[in-house]
Amino acid sequence: MKPSDAVAAAVEAAPGDLFVSSLGTATSALRLASGDGPYLYLGGAMGCGLAAALGVAERCPDRGVVAIVGDGDLLMGSGSLWSLSGLRPANLLLLVLDDGRYSITGGQELVAPRAFAAVAGALPNLTALEAATAGEVGEAVRTLARPAVLLAQIDEPAWPGPSPFVDPHRVRARFAANARGAS
Amino acid sequence: MTDAATQDAAAPFAWQRAIAASIRDAGAEVAVYVPDARLRGIVAALAESGIAVRALTREEECVGYAAGYAAAGGRPVVLMQCSGLGNSLNALGSFAIPYGIGIPLILSMRGTLGETNPSQVPMGRATVMFLEALAIQSFPVSAEADAGPTTAGALALAYETGTQAAVILEPALGGQRETV
Repeated sequence: MKPSDAVAAAVEAAPGDLFVSSLGTATSALRLASGDGPYLYLGGAMGCGLAAALGVAERCPDRGVVAIVGDGDLLMGSGSLWSLSGLRPANLLLLVLDDGRYSITGGQELVAPRAFAAVAGALPNLTALEAATAGEVGEAVRTLARPAVLLAQIDEPAWPGPSPFVDPHRVRARFAANARGAS
Repeated sequence: MTDAATQDAAAPFAWQRAIAASIRDAGAEVAVYVPDARLRGIVAALAESGIAVRALTREEECVGYAAGYAAAGGRPVVLMQCSGLGNSLNALGSFAIPYGIGIPLILSMRGTLGETNPSQVPMGRATVMFLEALAIQSFPVSAEADAGPTTAGALALAYETGTQAAVILEPALGGQRETV
């Protein structure tokens, strides 16, 4: 599964949700899958993808929220898994692009790759699942009880395409309108 | 001054109540923080007033959470010890600031007047310089009478202009371990 396949399946499965993406591959894939939809794309701040999504989810409890993060981003901000477990937002799903590598910087291996399923599974209140195909990703996004951690097994780490270097003010304005229900 | 160990968490100091009241009056909906003794009474007063309080795992997570919360239309406030500002610089510089998301920061100072722990000194000495390097205005508070008005001004600045604003809680206020 390519990153773009996993993200496209998630967007198709939850078209009305608020999406948040971490820098790099996740932002590029979400821009591609959504036609540059009005979502909160991070262009930097590695390690903050899940934290930002937690803030969105708690501000908008009546909206579904999907955080799409690379596994390197999640590793850097892995404490946020504990916050996800403790805050238990009933509207937040974390989709991890799990390839065991830092894609944007040249494919360097994570120090402890493919460990998030065990970690998330050990934390209270979280539903954790691995998905091997885009079909499994879509089905899990539709059905998993939140808060959930969904690990998309990326075995074709192709670069999705669109630039992850977004215009921050444009992103913020469009996302704010989406969060208000105005787009 | 009153040592943190003698402060009853259920009875915040007057200056802590004043800060909490200004945060409430500014329309803040959630306070995210990493614990610090001087902040304890503020957080307790915020909780009393019905504002959601969230103890997160790390200061940059607080900034990331707050930026997401504000991007979705809310009004967050972040509280941390000044040493944690070092942990949060990238979240401020690569997220909140370029996205124009104004987040008020309440920073409890260590490493300055009366500090007896050498490990706290370098980050305390550098706190205002870190803020200035990111063009974040900071407003020190040393006296009870200034606590509420300074906080109110900083929150207005952050929320209304989309810039960061930091309130610096100096040791003279009490609530920590220094002898001032």
